[in-house]
Amino acid sequence: MSKTIEKLKSSRYYGLFLLAAMLLFFYGFFKILTPSNFGSPSNLYSYLQSSIIYSVGGCGLYFIVVMGLFDFAVGANIVLSSIVGVILSKHYGYAGFILGCLGCGTLIGFLIGMLYNNLNVPSMIVTVGLMLIFESLAVFVAGGVKQTLDENLRFFSGAPGNIILAGLAFLLMYFILNYTKIGTYCNAIGSNEFVAKNMGINVKKYKLIGFMLLHFFVGIMAILTVSYGTTMTALTGMSTMSRNFQPLMGTFFGVAFRKYKMPITAIIVGEFIISIIFNGFVALGAPTTIQNVVTGAALLAIVSLTARGSKGSVVK
Amino acid sequence: MEKKTLLVAEHIDKRFGITHAVNDVSLTIDAGEIRGLIGENGSGKSTFSQMLCGIYSIGGGTFTLNGKQIHPRNQVEANNEGIAIIVQEMGTLSGLTVAENIFLGHEGPFMHFGVKDSHAMNREAQRLLNEYGFGRIKAADMIDHYNFEDRKLVEIVKATYMKPQILVVDETTTALSQNGRLELYKIMDAIRADGRTVIFISHDLGEVLTHTDSVTVLRDGEYIGTVRTADMTEDDLKRLMVGREIGSSYYRDDYGEPIADEVVLSVDNVSVPGQISNVSFKLHRGEILGFGGLSECGMHEVGKAIFAASWDRTGSVTLADGTAINSITTAISHSIAYASKDRDNESIIINESIRNNIVLPSIDDLASKGVLNERKLTAFADKHAKDMQTKMQNVQQFVSDLSGGNKQKVVLARWLGKGSDILVLDSPTRGIDVKVKQAIYALMADLRRQGKSIIMISEEIPELLGMADRILVMKDGVISGEFMRDRNLSEEDLIAKMV
Repeated sequence: MSKTIEKLKSSRYYGLFLLAAMLLFFYGFFKILTPSNFGSPSNLYSYLQSSIIYSVGGCGLYFIVVMGLFDFAVGANIVLSSIVGVILSKHYGYAGFILGCLGCGTLIGFLIGMLYNNLNVPSMIVTVGLMLIFESLAVFVAGGVKQTLDENLRFFSGAPGNIILAGLAFLLMYFILNYTKIGTYCNAIGSNEFVAKNMGINVKKYKLIGFMLLHFFVGIMAILTVSYGTTMTALTGMSTMSRNFQPLMGTFFGVAFRKYKMPITAIIVGEFIISIIFNGFVALGAPTTIQNVVTGAALLAIVSLTARGSKGSVVK
Repeated sequence: MEKKTLLVAEHIDKRFGITHAVNDVSLTIDAGEIRGLIGENGSGKSTFSQMLCGIYSIGGGTFTLNGKQIHPRNQVEANNEGIAIIVQEMGTLSGLTVAENIFLGHEGPFMHFGVKDSHAMNREAQRLLNEYGFGRIKAADMIDHYNFEDRKLVEIVKATYMKPQILVVDETTTALSQNGRLELYKIMDAIRADGRTVIFISHDLGEVLTHTDSVTVLRDGEYIGTVRTADMTEDDLKRLMVGREIGSSYYRDDYGEPIADEVVLSVDNVSVPGQISNVSFKLHRGEILGFGGLSECGMHEVGKAIFAASWDRTGSVTLADGTAINSITTAISHSIAYASKDRDNESIIINESIRNNIVLPSIDDLASKGVLNERKLTAFADKHAKDMQTKMQNVQQFVSDLSGGNKQKVVLARWLGKGSDILVLDSPTRGIDVKVKQAIYALMADLRRQGKSIIMISEEIPELLGMADRILVMKDGVISGEFMRDRNLSEEDLIAKMV
């Protein structure tokens, strides 16, 4: 009997049940408190549209977080790639916009990966340093002015464009994780780098690929972000730091639900839950500080309930 | 029939810093044999085989397999040359499925234009698992859902499905239950019958004598010789390993001594969910109390429960003065020591010096008004490490450089330094050579004479019979039998209560 329960608790269905239960809990919680201005079908659709942008970034971050790496330059690259994309769109239309964002994003990923591999310095330190450089570079590229996306190039600003693009990104992530060696090797490196190396895995190569994939997804996120907001302003002084964390929250969900073999679903639903919590507080009229405190606490509660190691295990 | 030479190792050499781990070793191994490779801890046998398998780079010399020189840089290259290894510790990776672990680094047959066919991979892995008789392990499951032994079985499949020319089995049997061992022996025999070769590394000399055709002995990194197993006894092998005579009986030879009436520790109705249920016993002053059973019987959890290292433990563990042991801190401060079976992960801090490992629980005692004196700490560690005859350069050396036996000596030095009166030793001689074993048994007997009480948890029945005053046998989380020390007590008596 206990074996059956154990088996059930490790199944994908249990993971789905947990996600659905959390979603319903937070939805119900805010719906009861503010029934009139929260949670209508159109509201939910709107929350979903904003959350999928972060889900795309969360998918990208997943590749490096499972390897035990971190990247603080995600926000800076969103800004830089958006600006490059918008500038190129002025000359080459959609082609310039899309290729500008994706190309710049991936190139930045390549640079980060190369530097990380060659400097032999922790990823957190490398990416903090590069974040400062990319922020300044964005200011330089933008010429110090706000970049606005042309009105004719805003297919991805709302449904169905944003849903289609994000959907393609999720499909790509699903494909990479399940139908290429990359997903397996990233997990292997995160589990034990020494053993992975002994299994013939070129660890440096796959770390580089991880960073490139992350920033390719950041490029997609840049398309969605600048389309949604229509403008992008380059700022310095670590102002892009805050952009790192919302995608990361989704990644936490993905890593937590990896054991149920459903990281992408978890990233998407996780970001949706975070969006519900944010919007729930907005509907309640709570001050931003309270919103942040409660959102942070909710995230800790959710992740500790789902990703917490078994009793006695070492968590770092 | 003339034997065909499969592997020629010439002048193999390896240094780690100032340690000369393998010193100019030359040997040949024939096709279709099981070759035992034995030696004390630190004799170089694992280093030698790990160079052959691409885990370590070859420091000097050459390996020639089937007439072709090989220089594997990692395990996959070694696999491609026809050499595979099953390692002593965990060799599978968490976060991957069983199938992904089996084919890690060998995904080629399942890749079509860069696209992985997971279904085909799972199907093939499941077919292999079924073929090996491990069908209860599901290829598509995450490996994390399986215990240490099942993961070892997956590793056996991983190492052998490609039909390697040479399979190295490095101290694997200690991680397996009796059934798991039998499965491994069957696989080794099948490899030999197929004209391929097994290099079998084990400290269990009985096992080496039963399952090998010839035995190569290394000592202090040097080649001592290769002998025909049929011509050898256990004592012969011990003599070759150690370089001097070691008697066949290194256990206690006293029988009939009564156990003291004084109870030092009472364990009452201790349970740990899913592990042990209502375990009760008393430990007496100067007693060696043995715990035996199959590896999953719960005996290892008993050790943790006494030391208050188990989660959700119920029941009580109390000292003679009524002190309840409900936390590790209380256990240590009341003179209880615990050495885990999982030495590298639970007993020592692998990336720390010998000194810091030894002084750890005694640091408060050594501090003067909260201030530590470096010299005092070093002198303390040095004394206890030397008392244990730890083979080391000095106490500043990192524990990671030491062999398994010397790591265990560091663990024991730590608790002897603390002056512990109750020692819970889980598998104290696991992966340890005869010479260190003999030293540890002598130490246990000495501690017993000093009035210290020892709980010895062991999967080795001869060790229990040879050392314990009383043996409690466990099965399915409960105590299933109790035996007093007796010359006539046999392995069969204990096994009858284990299975």
